[in-house]
Amino acid sequence: MIRVRLTAQLKDLAKGAREVELDSADDLGTMVRKLDTSFPGIGGRIVDDQGKIRAHVNVFVNSENSRELGREKTKLRDGDVVHILPAVSGG
Amino acid sequence: MCLLVGTHKGAFIFTSGPDRKNWKVSGPHLKGNDIYHMAYDRRTGAVLASIVSGHWGPTVARSEDLGDSWKESSTPPKFPKGSGLSVARLWQIKPASEDEPGVVYAGVEPACLFRSEDWGKTWKVNEALMNHKTRKKWQPGGGGLCLHTILVNPKRPRRVHVAISAVGTLRTDDGGESWRFQNKNVLADFHPKKYPEYGQCVHKLAINPSAPDVIYHQNHCGVYRSDDAGDSWVDIRNNLPSRFGFPAAADANNPKRAYMAPLEGDFSRIPPDGHFAVWGTDNRGKEWFKLDDGLPVKSYYTVLRDGMVADMEDPCGLYFGTTTGQLFSSRDQGNHWERITDSLPPILSVSVSAT
Repeated sequence: MIRVRLTAQLKDLAKGAREVELDSADDLGTMVRKLDTSFPGIGGRIVDDQGKIRAHVNVFVNSENSRELGREKTKLRDGDVVHILPAVSGG
Repeated sequence: MCLLVGTHKGAFIFTSGPDRKNWKVSGPHLKGNDIYHMAYDRRTGAVLASIVSGHWGPTVARSEDLGDSWKESSTPPKFPKGSGLSVARLWQIKPASEDEPGVVYAGVEPACLFRSEDWGKTWKVNEALMNHKTRKKWQPGGGGLCLHTILVNPKRPRRVHVAISAVGTLRTDDGGESWRFQNKNVLADFHPKKYPEYGQCVHKLAINPSAPDVIYHQNHCGVYRSDDAGDSWVDIRNNLPSRFGFPAAADANNPKRAYMAPLEGDFSRIPPDGHFAVWGTDNRGKEWFKLDDGLPVKSYYTVLRDGMVADMEDPCGLYFGTTTGQLFSSRDQGNHWERITDSLPPILSVSVSAT
């Protein structure tokens, strides 16, 4: 089981859910595609048209930023907790 | 009558009775997002909005209750995998004619056209434009390589005009299966050829719905009119104080009447003499006259390319919004202006329910 925690801006696209559970996903890219199948439109807010994590979105796997792991190819395992958060903006 | 105002911080919807005099406002809707354009779909009464979020990217949202609730597209405009392209910004959104129920167009950056056949819920790229043989040579204008204007011919729905900065104007007559450039006689004085086949910096096109072969054109390098659906263009700058500007509007009741908002040229982009004014013509651009009654004597307003619009009433109403948050209206073809509000976020676009 993989738990995906959504920020407030994304929960409206997930029928109000702040947390979504997925049975499995091999990597973050697969996880986003599965989320989009369940909640059409949410995937495009997280990744761009070519499947890359958007520049101002951070995806953490067990508190590690996926940019320092394998980005969209970051492997996921049973029990992982994924946070999807907006990057800090401003100065 | 609804006035749909897209801003840098969300959408505002102004409503009034037929007198267009007293306006009630709701918003900001879609708070915090850049709303590049909004459209009222007369076929259903729905409002469509082009959203660009700094964090979450672009999408389209649709409201069936004048902004009380919104639903985002389940499949927003998105380039196919392997194209190497990704939608950065959504520009104009345009419902098609009554003859094509469900069809809506959207223009994006990098320049391309998307089409929805289910009222804006899902979108498909126009492959002919995405794969256009000249695409690799397209250069962006200052606002990016954006497809910012879509004109659907109300009498021939398969005829669609698009304008791309800085590529020029293209037209399809077969519903988007093929496109051809329409930049004949349009100057590109930043280009070694001056009148190339493409590469012109078109800023805005305005079509007259009752005479759709007549198109007015504000370009980086001039002001033009076409009487043959874009096949050729005539320079109509004449006595305008500048050839440069961004918005353009056509009077639906009079094909000879159009409106521009000139700025000092290219490098300053401020109103001539520090006085913003709309300029109108009654004779297809042979002569222009200043329409500034009710506007401040000194004003450095900037009105972006989608910041001015005409309604379809008679006499024609005109509306413009500025990047400093002023929203003005005229109920008499620009002869007198009234300020609706002075305090919106930077205005990116103004649309009206009756266009």
